[in-house]
Amino acid sequence: MYKKIAATALILGLAIPGISQAAKVKIGFVNSITGPEAPIGENLSNGVTLALEDLKKRGIEVDLVKEDDTGKPEKSMAAFEKMATRDKVSGVVGPYTSATANAVAKLAEKYKTPLLIPVASKDEITRQHLKWTYRLSATTYDYATILLDMATSLGKPKTMAIINENTDFGTSGAKSAKAYAAKKGIIVVAEESYAKGSPDYRGTLSKIKSKNPDLVFMVSYVADAILLMRQSREIGITPQAFLGAGAGFATVAFAKEQDISNNVFSSTQWTGDVNWPGARDFDKRYKAKFGKEPSYHAATAYESMIIMAETAAKAGGDREKIRAALKSGKWNGIMGEVKFLDYEGYTNQNHHQMLVEQIQNGVHQTVYPPKYVSKKPVYPFPGWKK
Amino acid sequence: MTPTGGISALTKLFSTKPQKIISNLLIGADTTMKFPLNNNKGISSLAVITSLVIIALLFMLPNYVQSTYALHIMILIFINIVMGSSWNILGGYTGQYSVGHSAYFGVGAYTTLILMQFRQIPPWYGVWAGMLAALVIALIIGSICFRLRGPYFVLASIAVAEIFRVSALNLKDITNGAEGILTTEIPPFTINGTVITDFASKVPFYYTGLVFVLIVILATWLIQHSKLGYFFQAIREDQDAAHSLGISLTLYKNTALGISAILTSLAGSLYALYVGFIDPTTVLSLELSVSIVLICIIGGIGTIFGPIIGALVLVPLSEALRSNMVGEALISSGLVSAESKFGNFLTENLSHAHVLIYGILVVVVILFMPDGVLGFFRALSAKKHKETV
Amino acid sequence: MNIFIQSLISGILIGGVYALIGIGLTIIFGVMRVINFAHGDLLMLGMYGTYYLFTLFNIDPFVSIVFTIPLMFLYGGFLQKFFINRVLGSLPQNQILLTIGMGLIMSNVVMLAFTSDYKILSTTYSSSSFNIMGISISSPLLISFAITAVITAALYWFLLKTDTGQAIRATAQDREAAQLMGINVKRMSIIAFGLGSALAGTAGALISPTYYIFPQVGSIFTLKAFVITVLGGMGSIVGATLGGILIGVAESIGGVYFGSGWKEVVVFVLFLLVLLFKPAGLMGKSNT
Repeated sequence: MYKKIAATALILGLAIPGISQAAKVKIGFVNSITGPEAPIGENLSNGVTLALEDLKKRGIEVDLVKEDDTGKPEKSMAAFEKMATRDKVSGVVGPYTSATANAVAKLAEKYKTPLLIPVASKDEITRQHLKWTYRLSATTYDYATILLDMATSLGKPKTMAIINENTDFGTSGAKSAKAYAAKKGIIVVAEESYAKGSPDYRGTLSKIKSKNPDLVFMVSYVADAILLMRQSREIGITPQAFLGAGAGFATVAFAKEQDISNNVFSSTQWTGDVNWPGARDFDKRYKAKFGKEPSYHAATAYESMIIMAETAAKAGGDREKIRAALKSGKWNGIMGEVKFLDYEGYTNQNHHQMLVEQIQNGVHQTVYPPKYVSKKPVYPFPGWKK
Repeated sequence: MTPTGGISALTKLFSTKPQKIISNLLIGADTTMKFPLNNNKGISSLAVITSLVIIALLFMLPNYVQSTYALHIMILIFINIVMGSSWNILGGYTGQYSVGHSAYFGVGAYTTLILMQFRQIPPWYGVWAGMLAALVIALIIGSICFRLRGPYFVLASIAVAEIFRVSALNLKDITNGAEGILTTEIPPFTINGTVITDFASKVPFYYTGLVFVLIVILATWLIQHSKLGYFFQAIREDQDAAHSLGISLTLYKNTALGISAILTSLAGSLYALYVGFIDPTTVLSLELSVSIVLICIIGGIGTIFGPIIGALVLVPLSEALRSNMVGEALISSGLVSAESKFGNFLTENLSHAHVLIYGILVVVVILFMPDGVLGFFRALSAKKHKETV
Repeated sequence: MNIFIQSLISGILIGGVYALIGIGLTIIFGVMRVINFAHGDLLMLGMYGTYYLFTLFNIDPFVSIVFTIPLMFLYGGFLQKFFINRVLGSLPQNQILLTIGMGLIMSNVVMLAFTSDYKILSTTYSSSSFNIMGISISSPLLISFAITAVITAALYWFLLKTDTGQAIRATAQDREAAQLMGINVKRMSIIAFGLGSALAGTAGALISPTYYIFPQVGSIFTLKAFVITVLGGMGSIVGATLGGILIGVAESIGGVYFGSGWKEVVVFVLFLLVLLFKPAGLMGKSNT
């Protein structure tokens, strides 16, 4: 008789999924582990690490195939190809940077492997009618719109100067800013695209100062962001607002330079105090585990891995099923509501709600849109402290 | 648009005129005068047979090897051989060390992709346009830089390549600037309506690469065994003496550069079509120029097989390090325990270290094997022969 | 007009730092005829040293050159004795490749040790400036310029007035003749490389409060250093000083009038023009 009970219990146990066995999925992760974007890449890796922990708790074992693309598109393409053909992953999360993401999006189509891009903002990536590429983060156009919408809601700026790094991300950001400024009736009085690595922007900045722009729109990664602001302070540029398009301006390293970061705005995909489900908790756990604040990159990577792994587990690792599930699915996690839609020429693009932060006394505070505000924005720019 | 047209043109260039000039000037001298490093002993039939067998095997390889990764490595090796061998013609044989060869690589890459992406001109025509552009640019660069000698020439070649790179970054309307050019699809290659290949797999790139390698090696061989090659090497050994013998420095240096540039642009075009993405940092950088020189130096400059060996050493090494194969191999073979601190350090960092290994390799080769791997082994075997005699 | 003067002034100030890098390279080339492609990486080491002295021991970057100079001098001497010395007789191409390899090793070891994170050295005066008639002058850059001037003057005095200095100049002028005169040319080479490294490291220290620090920062400066030395004349310290300032100004003004993306092209075009029309440089003698 005991044998019968034991047998029944065993059968019942096996029949209820998730109780005795964890679902196993094989997911690829391409990232800038080394190279110039390594500091931001670190955020993505850490986000994924936390995601794997949480997934394990939910009974999903992720066999993670990690590849370093050093920020170069040809390396990310090689990595993606290896993952899709040799490692035979069910799906890929990553990479970071617009250039690498754009490159692998094509390959996803070729190898029919689902690709979920956590954060790469070049507009064109999801404007190519690709079926297998999904993007979680908002685009550079959204960066521009949120910043300019905010500026025009707080004041009446009429002119704008654009300074951008001449990379993929920078050029795309500048293009978007210019296009949206035209829509808002803001005149672009100066457009300077610089090659990163120069120690001296003073000449360029004094040129911009002479045009007296109401807004200064900047697209840079961390190091140049700091140099630009330092030298803006030296030259004495005082617009109504400094608008930073994410990236360097959203990092803690920039915020810490209080002399120069105070009252600078930055568009962002996520903040630690936003009230999306689990966001604040994620912020705390990240700080506890890694000893530093997460940037929005960490949050996007976390959410992307969760979405990809859960979808893969439900679809039993089948790529076509995963693709269909990504297309039709809906999620609500630390990045807020996620749904991959086709709209305004985009395909499989999550229409993500962007936020704007302002650095006040060395800390990023969410200041726009109004329903997410943690602190009121300071506008116009109150000038430089001496 | 097959390569054979090019080969016959090359052959014509090498055969006639120089013979007249040199016999007039070197009265009484044997026209098969040998210069150092010129391996002009007749070709043994064994060597011919071995080479033919290897070539045949290489042609048949894709039928037996299904792994796309292996094909990928072979294609990279082919591109590297072409890069190294073309540089070899200018640097190894003529002694003009250009550390700005990425300019020609980039010109080939950009011309081919710009024509294909923006003007829908198929790459088999685009490649020729690339070669032409590279030739024109080479002649311009030559006229500027060849007035300079030795280290000044090196610096000038770097400056020119950098000007190209920055220009490519800034002339966004032509080159798309920093965003680079991403290919969507290569049009299928048809002859009389039948599709030969649609470039969906790696195999057509493999064969193209193999053919390019054969072209370059043939070109090098022809140069080495021709009067042109003598002039090049004479210039390398002592420019002024060569000049006093009536060898026109301008003509021959520019010829070497022209040939070198054309072949390098072939490598660039193939790279662009294969990888599918180019930007100024990948195809016009100083780093690329340095690695082109490295391929030759490590293998052995001024020899036909030097660049081949250099590519065979560098490509697998770079790939093995990058993908952490070395670390994994060490661990799985039991030499290093995966748990130990050293083991952890290896897995974490070895893949980032491949540039470091490059640097160490360069230093070691220059200090201990300045004639490259080939020269090192040749010296070894020469010593051996001395001992047995 | 204001913009022009502003770019001129900031160009001159940053040109001072460039000059220091150029002087170091020109000494090395003058004495050993070696083109040191690792020069920028020596600067990078100086930057990292300064950074850690600042963050760990709170030593101000400008003060820390007291440590940087001797340490980099010893390091340079070490490099010369054990590596560069072996190729002094070989083809210049081999020398170049050797220094390229050494540079790669240095920058990548630093990358492995300290990661490629950009490090920012922020002092209280990093972004301070003062205003003269509407032109803002960066305080840290002005201090760097002053220190550079002092060091250059001291170097000049050393080379003109001391025995060792004159021995170095003799070696630079004619190595064989100097050797025949009883000068230990090997030792002179070691001192020269040490000096060059010390100057590069100091330039790194001086620029660190106003720039950012990462392992690959060297390559940007190496190319500039070459342009400066050729412009000024290989082996001429005055030439390198003028060259540095000229390049700083050309970059700055070029950036304003041609767009900052074209800055580097301005520098390289200038470089090619000099190579073509006056390869000996502004102050150089043509005895390569």
